[in-house]
Amino acid sequence: MTWSPFSYIVTNLARFIRPDEVTFSGVNSTPPMLACLLAKRAYDFDFVYINVAGGVQPTPSKIPISSSDPVLSEGSTAIFANEDFYDLCTRGGMDLCFLGAAQVDGLGRTNVSAIGDWHNPKVRLPGGGGGAVMLPTARRAVTWRTEHSKRTMVEKLDFVTASGGMAGVVTPIAVFVKRDGRLALQSWHPEASLDEVVARTGFKFDATGAAPTPLPTAREIEALRSLDPSGQFERDANVALR
Amino acid sequence: MNKIMSLQEMVALVPDGASLALGGSFLHRGPFAFVRELIRQGKKDLEIIKQSPGYDIDILCRAGCVKKARAGIVAMEGNFGLAPWYRKAVEKKQIVLEEHACATLTAGLRAAAFGVPFQPVGGVHGSDLPALNKWASIKDPYGSGKDVWVIPSIQPDIAVIHVNEVNELGDARIYGTFNWDRIMTRAAKKVFVVAEKLETVESFQAQPELTMIPSFMTKAIAIVPNGAWPGSCWPLYEVDYPEVEEYMNTQGSLETHMRRAPELAR
Repeated sequence: MTWSPFSYIVTNLARFIRPDEVTFSGVNSTPPMLACLLAKRAYDFDFVYINVAGGVQPTPSKIPISSSDPVLSEGSTAIFANEDFYDLCTRGGMDLCFLGAAQVDGLGRTNVSAIGDWHNPKVRLPGGGGGAVMLPTARRAVTWRTEHSKRTMVEKLDFVTASGGMAGVVTPIAVFVKRDGRLALQSWHPEASLDEVVARTGFKFDATGAAPTPLPTAREIEALRSLDPSGQFERDANVALR
Repeated sequence: MNKIMSLQEMVALVPDGASLALGGSFLHRGPFAFVRELIRQGKKDLEIIKQSPGYDIDILCRAGCVKKARAGIVAMEGNFGLAPWYRKAVEKKQIVLEEHACATLTAGLRAAAFGVPFQPVGGVHGSDLPALNKWASIKDPYGSGKDVWVIPSIQPDIAVIHVNEVNELGDARIYGTFNWDRIMTRAAKKVFVVAEKLETVESFQAQPELTMIPSFMTKAIAIVPNGAWPGSCWPLYEVDYPEVEEYMNTQGSLETHMRRAPELAR
C-alpha cells in the first residue's frame, strides 16, 4: 500500500493520545484537530478532548476548515474558554498539547516567530500563540511539520519562541520522540529510510531502536476516511513525501 | 443615558492613537464591521491588542491605520496561512510589533483588570520572548525557591466586543466560546459593544448568569447584524470563505471588498 504523507501525519499524531488524558488541539492546527477526532473514532479507550473553541468532549456535526471554528464546541456540555485552558496547562493539568512550529531543533524547541533576525525578518511568521507558555508547562507537547528539511528541522533556531522540549514531532517521513532531553527517531515512513531522515534533518539525533512506522490499522484508515470523505482536507494540506 | 448609536457614531468616539482590544479570535466573532468603519473614518496610529488577530489586524495594516500591535499569534487561519498585509507591515517596519505568547498578553490584561502593576504568568522559561520584551523574573517572596516571569499591566483604552445579544442598558451575552473577551472588558478603560441583535431587559433578567458584560461597564452600543462578516458568529453564520479568498487576492481592491460589507446594506 502507499501511505499518504497527510494520513501519516494525522495518524501518527493520533497515536500520541493516551487513555483518560486531557488532550488539547488549538488554532491553526488542522492535523491535530483531525488526529483528536480520529482517535475518538479509531481507538477503544476514552480521553478528554478539549479544544480552542471551548469544547469539552464535543460532538461536532461537521469538520471545519478552521481548527478554531465554534462548531468544535457543538455537543459540548461546557465552554472551557481560552483563559481556562491556559491556566489548566500552567498548573499541570494538560496531559497532551498539540502546538505548531515553523522550525524545530534537536532539543524539541520551536521557532514560530521569524525567519532571519527577529528585528529584521526575512519572513515574519505568525508567532507562537500558546507555545512559550504551554510547551514548558504541558505534561507532553507534540508538534508536526508538513515539510521535513534542513530548513525546518534545524541545528539552530533563528529565534526561540518556545522552549521546554517537544515530546514528539511528526513529519511526512518520520516520528521523533523525546529521549534524554533530545529528539530521537522513533520510526520512519515505510517508503522512506533512516538514511533519508538523516539526510533531511539539520540536527543530530539518536536512532537506537528506530524502525519503519507500523502501517495504519483498518480502523485508523476508516476513521480518517469518515472525517475527510471527499479528500478535501488532504488536498488542502498538500503534503508531499519529498 | 441612551448608549445605543450608529456604528459611525461609535467609531467617531475613537481618537487617533487609541489602543483597542478587539474581541473574538481569528475569523470568529471579531468586531469586523467596527474595524472597517475605523478604515472608512481614516483613523491613524492605532494600537491593536489581541491574542489571536487575523482579518482585523491585516485589513487595518492594509489601510495604514496601525502603529503598534501586541499579539500572540497572527494569521488568517483555515487554509489561508499568514496575514499578508500584516506580515508586510512588520517586515517593512511600518508597524511596531510587541510579540507575546497568548497567555502573557492575558497576564498583562489581568494586571490591568486586577488593578496591579504586573502579573505573574506560568511557563515562558527558555523562550527568547522575555529578553525581547524586557520582562522581569522575580523570586517567590514566600520561599518556594521558584522564579516566575511577571508581565507589566496592559490597559487598552477601549475593548470592542462583538456579541450575539445586547439590551438597551448595555448588558451583553455571547453564545459559544467567549475567547479572551471577558478579561479584555475587565482590563480596558471603556467597553464598546457591537451586537447582532437587541434583546429585552427582561430576557437578561430571566438568565443573568448568561451575561458576560454588565450594563454599567458598557459605554456605547451599536446593533450591526452580520457585523462579524466575513468571519463567523456562532450560531448565526459561518465564515464566508469565498469572500475571505477575495480579500486575500493581492491584486484585488480593498474598496471592492469594503463595498460588499453588510453594515452598508441598511
